[in-house]
Amino acid sequence: MRINLKATFNSGARGRWIVLAAMLAAGAWLARADDAAIRYEASHESMGTVFTVAVYGRDQAFLSEVVNEVFEEIDRLDEQMSNYKPESELSVINREAAQHEMIVEPRLFGLIQFSLRASQESGGAFDITVGPLMKRWGFFRGQGRLPSPAEISQVLNAVGYQHVYLVPERRGLRFDVSGVEIDLGGIAKGYAVDQAVEILRSNGIMGALVSSGTSSIYALGSPPGERGWKVTVRDPFEAGKAADVFRLQNFALSTSGNYEKSFKIGSKTYCHIMDPHTGWPVENMLSTVVVAPTGTESEALTKIFFVGGVEKSRPYLASHPNALAVFYQPGERPQTFKRTVLRSKSFQLPSDSLAEFEK
Amino acid sequence: MQKEQDVTRREFLKTAAAVAAATTLPSAGAPAILSAQSLSNPVRYGVIGTGTEGCTLLRFLTTIPEGRCIATCDIYPPNLKKGVETIGTNPETYEDYRKMLERKDLDAVLIATPLNLHAQMVLDALSAGKQVFVEKTMYFKEEEGDQIRKASAEHPKQVLQVGLQRRSSLLYQVGMEMIRKGALGKIMFVRAQWHRNNNWRRPVPDPKYERLINWRMYKEYSGGLLAELASHQVDVANWAIGSEPVSVVATGGIDYWKDGRETCDNVQAIYEYPGGQKLLWSSILYNAHLEFDEQIMGDRGTLIITLGKGMYYREAVAKVSSSNSKENWWAGATVTSLAPQEGIPIFPERGANGEIGFVDREVRYAKRWLASMGIYSYEEPHDPWWTEMYNFMLSVRDGKPVIAPLEIGVADARGVIYGNRAVETGQKVFWPKAQPLKET
Repeated sequence: MRINLKATFNSGARGRWIVLAAMLAAGAWLARADDAAIRYEASHESMGTVFTVAVYGRDQAFLSEVVNEVFEEIDRLDEQMSNYKPESELSVINREAAQHEMIVEPRLFGLIQFSLRASQESGGAFDITVGPLMKRWGFFRGQGRLPSPAEISQVLNAVGYQHVYLVPERRGLRFDVSGVEIDLGGIAKGYAVDQAVEILRSNGIMGALVSSGTSSIYALGSPPGERGWKVTVRDPFEAGKAADVFRLQNFALSTSGNYEKSFKIGSKTYCHIMDPHTGWPVENMLSTVVVAPTGTESEALTKIFFVGGVEKSRPYLASHPNALAVFYQPGERPQTFKRTVLRSKSFQLPSDSLAEFEK
Repeated sequence: MQKEQDVTRREFLKTAAAVAAATTLPSAGAPAILSAQSLSNPVRYGVIGTGTEGCTLLRFLTTIPEGRCIATCDIYPPNLKKGVETIGTNPETYEDYRKMLERKDLDAVLIATPLNLHAQMVLDALSAGKQVFVEKTMYFKEEEGDQIRKASAEHPKQVLQVGLQRRSSLLYQVGMEMIRKGALGKIMFVRAQWHRNNNWRRPVPDPKYERLINWRMYKEYSGGLLAELASHQVDVANWAIGSEPVSVVATGGIDYWKDGRETCDNVQAIYEYPGGQKLLWSSILYNAHLEFDEQIMGDRGTLIITLGKGMYYREAVAKVSSSNSKENWWAGATVTSLAPQEGIPIFPERGANGEIGFVDREVRYAKRWLASMGIYSYEEPHDPWWTEMYNFMLSVRDGKPVIAPLEIGVADARGVIYGNRAVETGQKVFWPKAQPLKET
């Protein structure tokens, strides 16, 4: 069964389609913020990272109010979806859903529903139940350890999206075994970026960029006088060194990297992104970057492609439209990488969008 | 529109280093190097009041060859003896400071007596042609400020320095330069406290000396916690904000140490400045957890500073700018939220970044990192008391600028006097006319 990755719950998608290349001749018809606009930028800590919003407009007070509303919304999402906070709705679900069916708030239900679809589509490469595995590897405590095969095998009994059952008509959710935990850490920030963009749009903002700790970025419109927002992807080995440059308008970009969290045992480095099938950290991938119409999609896809690797991702991209992926894998010499760029076969670009890869 | 003043960590470190380099203090080894000029032409000074504070000054003065103590004065014999032993130069001793001032060979005096005596001693010393260092708080009663101003104006060639040691701290100077360069943005709030957990008394060998030794407890001599402790911190707020306050509300009481004292064992005060900035100050004598420091808060960062330690915290705040700059945003795996909250220790180090070698620069970076982990603590090249004394001697002998001159002391004293008035009356007290303070 093929499931469309476009989120049914996320009105931010709005049928925008991704197209790679310089499809806009002069770009004169791109929606742009007024050249006389002022620029307002603010940052806010939430979800264990720093969200930054830059907006263009005329009235500083208004812009600050809108951005504050964005940050309040992100905090609300964090309160609801955090699995670090015992009182969050998600934590309650994790504690109780093995005992009885839970009724879930509509937006959270929608995000879980989307995540499970992504899991099915990717054959389990993306899996929101991987949390117990990460705990066993020590990534929640920040002190990595090498679990025994028996430990991994035991934990894998409670890992797998198949253990989560949804009853859409009443937004019901239950787990079929105890020990299952949902962890939205691999998607919630992208979702939060989309919610932020919705607030900006609904307040008439035409030029803005939202970044969740650099891992998910949405470019709304373009800066005054610019053709898209310039987004530079960092080198997997060195922060501050550019690997690639994108120009985006009304598109999202997400990155997953093995350098985010990792630990070393002997000469071997283990990263925080787990292969849910094996129970082991993914190897031979430095980072993946995905450009997609929404942050929710792009963030989920980076995980799918990171875990799947280049070859397993080819059929996925062949059968799914509107995605661009860049794979960064270790090069032949130390501290070098090789790059593979894949894109969906069919692209249709809405007239207000831009997604250029300036390799 | 508010101008963009984004101060990066690198810029901040450059600022700190450049400020340190710009100071005129001698190197850490200076006390041991006795120049010929120092030995042949020392400032001949006397110390009035050789109790705890006076002897602290004397201890630092023992390593400053630019001055020589030839006289000490105290009305309490044990203190007089202690002062002579501390300085070790066999000074002539006096019980009456006026007699001491009559000495023609005396260039300068340092006054470290109970507060109620300061003003008259300053006036007499200036009148006697002496250069004057007076401990904070400079004076006790409001009218004394104008008397000292008048006397100082009549003796323009004589030095008048107030003992506000933080002004002599290289660490504080670095902090203030950070403020001037915009590292903290617009300063709108200072919170400061001086908390102790003791009765603030000194031991009295005979009850008849109670008021003499514990003069800080009695309103006849003392302005209490505000005069002895807030005076340092009001001055820091004045320094950071660049003005003295316009009003103060305050409360306080004798609520814990009900031992016959007349001055409060706790005071809480809110000072307001011309731009709406506030200083929230408290002192208590029944909990020492917070000890003492000043937290200077701007819309772009916070500086938490006290003698020997300063930490800078950058604010994750809004930036407004014109739209003519090119956008470039970084993408990468998730950046953790911890980094922006980590404080950066500020160091009173000498030498600009561009003037030191690779190894020194790396060592400096390692020290900052270790300090941020609480593993390493950095000390000033000199204790601020030493620097304060050294500066006074150079001001007297060589005409160097005074670190904490008259108006700094007046602004500080007004903060103390009006703060105490607010406590006593329960009313908001307004300054007659707040004045901007010149940089020193």
